[in-house]
Amino acid sequence: MNLGTIFLASLLVENVVLMRFLALCSYVGMTSDVGQSVGMGFAVTFVTVLATAATWPIYHFILVPLGIEFLQILVFILVIASLVQLVEFYLKKNVPGLYAAMGIYLPLITTNCAILAVTFDNITKNYNLIQSIVYAVGVSAGYLLAMVLLAGVRDRIKTSPIPKFLQGTPILFVATGLITVAFMGFAGMIK
Amino acid sequence: MKRLLNILLKGIITENPLLMLMIGLCSALAVTSSVANGIGMGLAMTFVNVFAELVISLFRKAIPNDARIPIFIIVIAAFTTIVDLVMKAYFPELSKAMGVFIPLIVVNCIIMGRVEAFAYKQPPIDAIFDGIGMGIGYTWVLVGIAAVRELLGAGTIAGIQIMPEAFQPILFFTLPPGGFIVFALFISLNIWLNKVQNNRAAAKEAA
Amino acid sequence: MKKDILRLGTSLALYAVAACVALALVYSITAPTIAGLAQQQLEASLTDLFPDAESFEAVKDALPSVDTAVAFEGAWTAKRGANILGVAIKANGKSYGGAAVMLVGISTDKRISGARILTLSDTPGLGANALSPTYFVDKSSKTTFPGQFSGKPVSDPFEVKNDVTAITASTITSKALTLMVKRSGEAGSAWLEANAAGGVK
Repeated sequence: MNLGTIFLASLLVENVVLMRFLALCSYVGMTSDVGQSVGMGFAVTFVTVLATAATWPIYHFILVPLGIEFLQILVFILVIASLVQLVEFYLKKNVPGLYAAMGIYLPLITTNCAILAVTFDNITKNYNLIQSIVYAVGVSAGYLLAMVLLAGVRDRIKTSPIPKFLQGTPILFVATGLITVAFMGFAGMIK
Repeated sequence: MKRLLNILLKGIITENPLLMLMIGLCSALAVTSSVANGIGMGLAMTFVNVFAELVISLFRKAIPNDARIPIFIIVIAAFTTIVDLVMKAYFPELSKAMGVFIPLIVVNCIIMGRVEAFAYKQPPIDAIFDGIGMGIGYTWVLVGIAAVRELLGAGTIAGIQIMPEAFQPILFFTLPPGGFIVFALFISLNIWLNKVQNNRAAAKEAA
Repeated sequence: MKKDILRLGTSLALYAVAACVALALVYSITAPTIAGLAQQQLEASLTDLFPDAESFEAVKDALPSVDTAVAFEGAWTAKRGANILGVAIKANGKSYGGAAVMLVGISTDKRISGARILTLSDTPGLGANALSPTYFVDKSSKTTFPGQFSGKPVSDPFEVKNDVTAITASTITSKALTLMVKRSGEAGSAWLEANAAGGVK
């Protein structure tokens, strides 16, 4: 399973938001503006890669040898929460502008299902460390892509006539459904 | 008693977590390609929600405010793991069908949200009712979406053939795009129902 | 300040310990059942591959694999009385979404008696159709992807798009699984030749 295939598969064919339904809360909440989406996408990428780099060794070198794999959920989510906390501290001190701009969405990265899902996938798919990191980057890139796409569509929706019963949130999901149909076309890409 | 009933109903309709508050969406779309999965997920989430709210409400005086988020996470993660282990042991097919979404209950915004907004400040009995109410609210929407998707996409409900043999299942509905579209329609329906409810209430007031 | 952190840290640690203890307890109750299920699945799969067998005996040494892409995790001989009907090999290989585990039965007449997929984490609707009992590679005979290997001579080329029908748009999964069956077939028939000389030919 070469690295290029892993990357492309997680970016397009099995896009984390559109095909796997993950990270939807932030997808709906943080796409009102393309800049916001990009910022969120990068923040998630950063945390996901760090989380992978931390959880993979913890699972393989601590949980498995000690036979305590059942603590995986507890340990992984605590690692992610701590990482997000550290990122918060760092930003507050060193990049206060970004910290203020992200506001409440920074701590919300902890509950981003995509990040926890990636850490779990690395284990279920039996990836080695390098594959896991490539997978983490691919998934985050897919997340960024989906976010930016929807932000762009939302911009267009503002100036389009929408039928009354679809106004507000419903049209966003219809739009997402249509984008997803397009993404399903990628299915045959990886031969 | 009326107070507790109100708490229960709140989660089911007026403050429905999926349709009104728009939280906990991920699992809602991923597991609703079949009714069986929808029910399973609903029950699993309700279990974790009720017990997490109960425990945190019981210990609310003993949870320091500054460390409350990590402690919430520990409690929720513990109950999620319990559900995961129990399902692997006694409901293995369902567990395999839902895959990573059972462990993902730990980051379900509904549970985190209710624990922070309600259970941490309210007495245990209220917390239990809120947990159950939110759980039911979550489950009925899940089953509703799943029923539509499974019926149109496979002709069955919970594996039981409902549509006549001649019916050609529209696979679209069991696939991701179908999920999004059905969900959009549910939200739309709920908005309309709420509007009707509000109009009726306003008309009553004016009368 | 320091006292505060100590207090917070201690209460956090207490909750963490309590959670771990509770989980260890639940785990100790459920672990035997979970392990039992895995054993049950193995036995059910073995019987599926060799319905005429009365007993299955684990082969002591793991079969050697000539291909680094496929590893053999274990093998069981299917016996009826004193006669060996064939051998079932548990093969582990890399598929599209990670590791795939299959149980392949090779009968003494040098044919695949059947192939069962134990673990597969490929794309739902695409590669994962290999697991589906309702996805047919041949709709008229209602043959599933693994089903097409039943009765296939080990000496066949085992090439996708040649003598093996792939799953639509899932060539990687199809190729990976086919390779696993092929290697298992080769190793199994070699083992049977060496060890089942007195068996039913």
